[in-house]
Amino acid sequence: MAYVAAKGGEQAIQAAEQFFRNLNGTPDRAFVQLIERHMPYLIDRVIGEGSLYAPDLAALALAQTGGDLYEAILLLRAYRSTQPRLGYAELIRPEEILTVRRICAAFKDIPGGQILGPTLDYSHRLLHLELLDGAQHNTGEQAVANELPSVDQTSGLEHLRSPIPVADWQRAAGLLDPLPEAASIHPSEIPDVTRDPVDFPAPRAHRLQSLARADTGGVLALGYASMRGYGLAHPTVNEVRLGYADVQLRHPITGVLFSAGRVRISSGEVVSNAAADTLELGYAATLGWNEVKVIAGSMLDLEMEKPNPHPAHTEDFVLYHTEPVEASGFCIHYKLPHYVTFASTLDALHRARASDE
Amino acid sequence: MTKLSELAAQRQDYSYAFLDEFAKRELRRRILKSIALPGYQVPYASRELPIARGWGTGGLQATLSLVGPGDTVKVIDQGADDSVNAANLRRFIARMTGVATTTDTLAATIIQSRHRIPEERLREGQVLVLQVPDPEPLRQVQPDLSKARDLHAEADYALMWLGLYEQLVRYETYTGGSSYPVVVHQRYIMAPSPIPRWDNPALHQAAHLTLLAAGREKRLYAVPPYTDVRSLEFDDVPFQIESQAGRMCEQTGATNKFMNVIPQPDGTERYQLSDTGYAEKLARHNRGEPTEIGETYYDAAGRFYIDGVLKQDPLTPGPSPTGRGEAQQE
Repeated sequence: MAYVAAKGGEQAIQAAEQFFRNLNGTPDRAFVQLIERHMPYLIDRVIGEGSLYAPDLAALALAQTGGDLYEAILLLRAYRSTQPRLGYAELIRPEEILTVRRICAAFKDIPGGQILGPTLDYSHRLLHLELLDGAQHNTGEQAVANELPSVDQTSGLEHLRSPIPVADWQRAAGLLDPLPEAASIHPSEIPDVTRDPVDFPAPRAHRLQSLARADTGGVLALGYASMRGYGLAHPTVNEVRLGYADVQLRHPITGVLFSAGRVRISSGEVVSNAAADTLELGYAATLGWNEVKVIAGSMLDLEMEKPNPHPAHTEDFVLYHTEPVEASGFCIHYKLPHYVTFASTLDALHRARASDE
Repeated sequence: MTKLSELAAQRQDYSYAFLDEFAKRELRRRILKSIALPGYQVPYASRELPIARGWGTGGLQATLSLVGPGDTVKVIDQGADDSVNAANLRRFIARMTGVATTTDTLAATIIQSRHRIPEERLREGQVLVLQVPDPEPLRQVQPDLSKARDLHAEADYALMWLGLYEQLVRYETYTGGSSYPVVVHQRYIMAPSPIPRWDNPALHQAAHLTLLAAGREKRLYAVPPYTDVRSLEFDDVPFQIESQAGRMCEQTGATNKFMNVIPQPDGTERYQLSDTGYAEKLARHNRGEPTEIGETYYDAAGRFYIDGVLKQDPLTPGPSPTGRGEAQQE
């Protein structure tokens, strides 16, 4: 490779990376597998924001970066951007999701029932200090359920139901407007935020895709501002759902539908009264189980529809500023040298001062 | 017997120049459109790259979509080839393409730059790729993107002129630093990226193609060769570049080039050429080694190579339009 080594900079880069590795160690395959197996919610967050369903690659990204979330997400996104789109999966309908958790705050009980599922919501947040002393936790390794049941394991998952969405019941009851007749559209025609720049007002697909990829902390901060008092609506959680969904593809030759795998997904839906006599919905969904993000995201989705919303609820404000790769990247770019622009600033400052005198 | 693995294409984890062919095709189409509409911001998808966002990923995408085996690439940051950021981008381009790299402006076919245009004049066939943090020159007067787009469409730049006028009323001088806005071919107002004002004139009637690409903001725009590019100014108050008067490079003895100010512990300043590729060649020349040094945009006396682009000679500032002497920085 023809390469003119410019002095200084390149050696500094290599030495700095070496220092990082020396300080933080070099992960191996077993370590990556441990992360994937035992940090599912961390993996889900990286998968969601990285918008690539690849638990093994997410674990590798986390291991490689020493757990720096923004770096891990960038690694995954950069890898994703090199992958061609080979096909389009069939639509996933809520009633087909193998649901492990589905709760509704709007009603005491709902058709299909409240499903508490796997959660620490009602556990005491006490550190199990005895673990540090070598005590065995009462749920041992063998008790860990398979997080990603394969298709042939479905027979063992009768307890997973696929309840109809609460919103469907509300529509039937006339509380919500019926869904507009969706025009039949080929998946390749759906606007894709990874292939087109967002233009505002954004197509709904862009908005939901952006929220799905958004920075969890950013969505929470803006969503929390809305919940706490800057919002225009007082929404109620209609449904939070965690489950497994089959990614179904149609065979290009035979046309037979087949499952290419199963993914963890989460969705959130909030409801609020639009006028005195009607209700409206806000919605967000992500790859991976990201409860906080889908609740906050669905509230933002609802708020962004309003006339004269708070700046933190205008669409371009929310979608631009919660993009994790762009926000974190721009933030750390301030570490780069700016001496040419600063010299230009100083020159202008001196000119202005001179004219003051 | 022939093995299947011998017949199959060798496994490659990444495409040539990293981007897949779909991404390259999109970028090339957008680049063509941007060349057809000088100064107009063309939206593009802007893929994630293995470089932090906001660190030149827009410029990098443009470079990666253009670069081929016959190219020679130069990358600079603040004019320097050896800054870690420039080194990192150059190393990435070379790693993904195997392309030759250089620090010599004359030898490069593609020059990717952050915040500077080289001192040596670029020629026909060369491409300058400028990294852009904020492509929207109207951001200060109209933060709403869709409204700013309307203003561009209608060439309604009254707010920009008003802003310029307000600067004169308040400070009796234009107060813009780097990224000083320009009018491209009497049509679009364009952010030239945060190059110093010193570099703005180099875009005017340039022989080379300039591509400006913002990765985060997902906008591409271009200044095709031989296009008029004028910095915003009123007829009676000329635009002024950063004064380099009285500054001499301590390493090469050069004058009237854009200088880095090196503050000294005793409170004084020293100066070094910002363009390190140029400085390296001057140093070689001073040692008596054969070196080809190109014509520069500004000559040793500080005169710009095209007459009339800068209305006021930066070296011999006449009476300033406000009737006061020009601020001289020593």
